[in-house]
Amino acid sequence: MIGKRVRLGEPGTAWLFLTPALVLLAGMLLYPVFYTVWVSLSDFDLATFQPSGWVGLRNYELVLKDPGFLESLKVTGIYLVIALPLQMVLGFAIAFLLNVEWRGRGVLRALFLVPMVVAPVVAGGVWRMLLDPLWGVVNYTLGLVGIGPIEWIGDPTLAMASVIIIDTWRWTPFVVLIAAAGIMALPGEVYEAARSDGAGRWQTLRHVTLPLLVPVMAAAFIVRWLGAVKMFDIALAATRGGPGNSTNVLNLYIYEKGFRSLEFGSASSMATIVLIVTMLLTIVLFRVSHRLENRW
Amino acid sequence: MVRSKAGRYAAIAGGVLVTLLFLFPVLYMVSISFKLPRDIFTVPPRWLSELTFDNYVSYFEQARILPRMINTIIVAAGASAISMVAGSMAGYALSRLRMRGAGVVGGLILASRAVPPIALVVPLFLVARKLGLTDQYITVILAYVTFLVPYVVWLMRAFFRSLPPELEEAAMIDGCTRFGAFFRIIVPTSLTGLVSTLIFCIILAWEELLFALILTNDRAVTIPVAIAGIAADTEKGGLWGPLAAVGVLTVLPVVIFALAVQKYLIKGLADGATKG
Repeated sequence: MIGKRVRLGEPGTAWLFLTPALVLLAGMLLYPVFYTVWVSLSDFDLATFQPSGWVGLRNYELVLKDPGFLESLKVTGIYLVIALPLQMVLGFAIAFLLNVEWRGRGVLRALFLVPMVVAPVVAGGVWRMLLDPLWGVVNYTLGLVGIGPIEWIGDPTLAMASVIIIDTWRWTPFVVLIAAAGIMALPGEVYEAARSDGAGRWQTLRHVTLPLLVPVMAAAFIVRWLGAVKMFDIALAATRGGPGNSTNVLNLYIYEKGFRSLEFGSASSMATIVLIVTMLLTIVLFRVSHRLENRW
Repeated sequence: MVRSKAGRYAAIAGGVLVTLLFLFPVLYMVSISFKLPRDIFTVPPRWLSELTFDNYVSYFEQARILPRMINTIIVAAGASAISMVAGSMAGYALSRLRMRGAGVVGGLILASRAVPPIALVVPLFLVARKLGLTDQYITVILAYVTFLVPYVVWLMRAFFRSLPPELEEAAMIDGCTRFGAFFRIIVPTSLTGLVSTLIFCIILAWEELLFALILTNDRAVTIPVAIAGIAADTEKGGLWGPLAAVGVLTVLPVVIFALAVQKYLIKGLADGATKG
């Protein structure tokens, strides 16, 4: 039973250590996931408030024909494709800016924690004020240089831009702090070597610093990705998904379908689709990030 | 890296400017929260106008801010405590103990971090409703465990891995069991890692909205749900002052807390990114 290399009693102990987490996750995560799949494959009976008959993939067929769902897939895609790279680039750029050694460096870094701990729903509300077309500070400031007035929340394209701006305000500091830690941890000797080889500033940045930071970038991107696919509260507080469906990210759309229209069947099939796509993309991202880390 | 003196000063100035830009929305919220309704809408915006505490007082009772704060504290503390115990034990097992199937189990626990909460809301709501457990602390706490446990396992596994194994081996040679070694040797030496993880848990639970929205409706309503409600009312007009005031009350404790323990937080972020 007990292998030679395994110490007596250890496998049992390992399972004991794992039991609390496994029980919690099995009950609260695994079971609900299967339940969601089950609801997505059944007819939901609102009278008894539970799934009744098996309907196969009918809910999925309906959902894939639902223009609202397709729209929110697109909206979520746009949000992810713009917001994540934007936050990564801004975050690393600001981290470099903050890396200059002076007395206030620690204070500035600590202050970057502030946007990070503003609850997203509060962030959405505050930015609604800042972006108000009539009395918002943003339009006032832009007006001073002759731009505007801009219909931030009222125009479909600009509403998306607003959501991305708010999300970027809230999350860039997170990238900044991770990037700052990564930059601080860079080995100094490499720079001595680069300098004695006569490398210029840009050359050093491109061929020494950035390659060394690839693992940190990959880690920051993955954590950001895991957060971004859950985005719900900022859109809810800032635009409620509107105007029309222009900022109706999947999480918001599914929530409305389930808990406003009580269409639990289609909400569940959409949630299942989101679950599968998220897991697949996460696996791909992990693979890519591992490959990048090994390459450099 | 920046070599010239002028470049150095430019970078410092740029850094200060960017930081102020990121702080501005928070300062703006504070200023709105003390303004009379008529001063909120002035163009150009005025920083110094007649101060009022009305926004704080008027909505404090009506939106039952205090009980909701207490709810949020209870839920955040409960969920964080459970997740810290279960998550750090599992993280320890995955980082140290050899066993069959460890790879698979570890992979599954870590993969559960990528499960979007939206995939859980329908069953959690239906089951809670069936069991008569909606609007109860325990339901919200258990729902929060779904995203906190994977998070704690993820961070603490990396943290425990960075500790030398001789640490508990010495204790175990002296007759300590694995449990004893974990609680008496590992936990005290890992205090920094545990504290920073705990802080992140509390913050994540404090600001959670989706689960709280579907699982509570009256008694157990948390602050984010209350704010979402005020924000929705605001669309019908005029509640900007109270919204800002409640926002300040929500954010203030966390900001003070975060700045007080900033070293742990920044270290936690750095470890999470570099050790993972």
